[in-house]
Amino acid sequence: MDPFIPIMVILPIASALFLNLLHKNDRTVKILAIVTALVLPIIPLLTGYGSHYFGGYAPLSQNSAIAQGLPSLITGTQLFIFHPAITYVFASAQKVMIFILGIIAFFAVFTALNETKKPSGVYAFLMFMGTASVIAILLSDDIFNLYVFFEIAALAQVGIVIASNVKHNYETALKYVILGNIAGPLLLLGIALLLGVTGNVNITDIIYSIKHGLVNPQNPVLLMALGLITFGWLYGSGLPPFHTIKSALYSKALPHGAALIQAFTVFMMVALGVIILRIFSYLPFSKMAIIAVSLLALVLSITMAIVQTDFKRILGYLALGELGYIGIGLGLGTTLGITAGLFQAVNEAIITAFLFIGFGTVLYKTRTSDTRKLGGMMFKNPRVALLVLLAGLAMAGVPPLNAFQSKLMLIQASLQAGVPELGIIMILLSIVTFMTFMKAFYTIYMRPKPPELVIHDYKIPKATIISLVAFLIICLILGLFPQIATSNLQTLASSLV
Amino acid sequence: MVLSAQLFSFFTAGSLIVIGIFAALFLDNLIKKIIGLAFIGDGVNLFIITMGYKPGGIVYIFLPNMTISNFAQTASYPLPFALVLTSIVIGASTLAVMLGLVIVLNKRHDSLSASKILGDERD
Repeated sequence: MDPFIPIMVILPIASALFLNLLHKNDRTVKILAIVTALVLPIIPLLTGYGSHYFGGYAPLSQNSAIAQGLPSLITGTQLFIFHPAITYVFASAQKVMIFILGIIAFFAVFTALNETKKPSGVYAFLMFMGTASVIAILLSDDIFNLYVFFEIAALAQVGIVIASNVKHNYETALKYVILGNIAGPLLLLGIALLLGVTGNVNITDIIYSIKHGLVNPQNPVLLMALGLITFGWLYGSGLPPFHTIKSALYSKALPHGAALIQAFTVFMMVALGVIILRIFSYLPFSKMAIIAVSLLALVLSITMAIVQTDFKRILGYLALGELGYIGIGLGLGTTLGITAGLFQAVNEAIITAFLFIGFGTVLYKTRTSDTRKLGGMMFKNPRVALLVLLAGLAMAGVPPLNAFQSKLMLIQASLQAGVPELGIIMILLSIVTFMTFMKAFYTIYMRPKPPELVIHDYKIPKATIISLVAFLIICLILGLFPQIATSNLQTLASSLV
Repeated sequence: MVLSAQLFSFFTAGSLIVIGIFAALFLDNLIKKIIGLAFIGDGVNLFIITMGYKPGGIVYIFLPNMTISNFAQTASYPLPFALVLTSIVIGASTLAVMLGLVIVLNKRHDSLSASKILGDERD
């Protein structure tokens, strides 16, 4: 058992608690937040693969000291291999995703601390609690533990929006938490049904029970559990019908907060989507349902982005549309498809963070995000404009940037799976994504500055420029050497087929 | 008689969830919506507790005068109760956040109407 596995969750939680306590000490908050954010992406690189059993309670089959002397009622049955404790599993796919999440968290915290005059310990607390929750969701092999961190992540996102001081942020936060209090308990009900049928909350044990005939796989209670867990997945992922509230959440957060929230959304979608595939992939319609919802997300979100006038809303809808690509990859159900979906998730998290922080410089200089009132920003900050343009090209899937590789893999996977129509739809919607982005880019950066627009002389912090350049470098590296990520993600994909 | 008590409990849990969903979706008063949401959480918690009920079951504490076989066969399943304890805490936290938000929004808008407060938002 590698002790670093739980440290990936414990460190940000502990740091968050200290940051909250030391809220008024600006210097301490800054140092502690930066150190934690720096360490977060490093830990997964140092951690060995394996499982961590909380309390040290490995399955009896691995724990002969406890198993000795137990009756055959326990040792002669499946109880001998079942997991009695909460289990965290760390493998190559988790390494890639937690590393990327750590990178995004680092740059979000770094930008937040440098763009505000007074660092906020409470804001940093919320960012780290959300990050810790999503890391736990990625690691957890216990479905109830996943639900607990799912709820904590939702609360952290609400807190980040409340702390933003943007107009109507309280209303958006309340709407999101009300919807969360419907979706969350229904997700818990689905988990309860799984517990009732299989007697387990450990996902590996649930799958064992279903695959080895300990429970009837066609039990209608299992189907109901699938429906309820999928409903919770839709809420956490911002897939329809929750795409409008998720986009609103992105638009009401500060740019660095939105960059982090979208990363939470992407990785929660992947984690829960993988669990749905692991448990319910034997049901043929489960993959079709994932594809259907993802297609709907793709089409609805991108078309809604076209009509928006707030660039944060445009980015929010484009980001949610990109989730559709991830879902299509997962729903195709082949090794190439799932690998492509997971790779798209990693790329999309980086690119959307890149875009939010990039466009956030516009908000920083002009205090408005209304594209109707903006213009001429290219001449004020040509370097940032170039970086934002490159981020947009990355999102559209232009080589040699990263999303080109993942979208190409997705199209290849759809052809391989015998569904070329999906490939055509993905290409068409990529073009629409690019058109929508260019429309926003033109109105903000290229058209003449409206006379009533006031562009303040605030210098964009070096931290923001460093973050943007770093994201661009990561996009280039993953675009030129995709095997860095795909070779690690393929193991998980193969296990799901 | 014991079986019908469990069935009655499931029925109550289901009713709480349905009433809660109705209140959350169709009532305009924010406080009533929040009470409805609390009902949904409580209904799910009651469902889980009821699932953990075992007719003739004993408390899952291994006492000195018991044998392991007897204990394994008669003790009720402790997991649902542990889950519900955590779920209650989560429910209380989200309830506190919602009520805090409603207090602030009530001061701003001088109303508890969801259609007025949540529908008034324009970007």
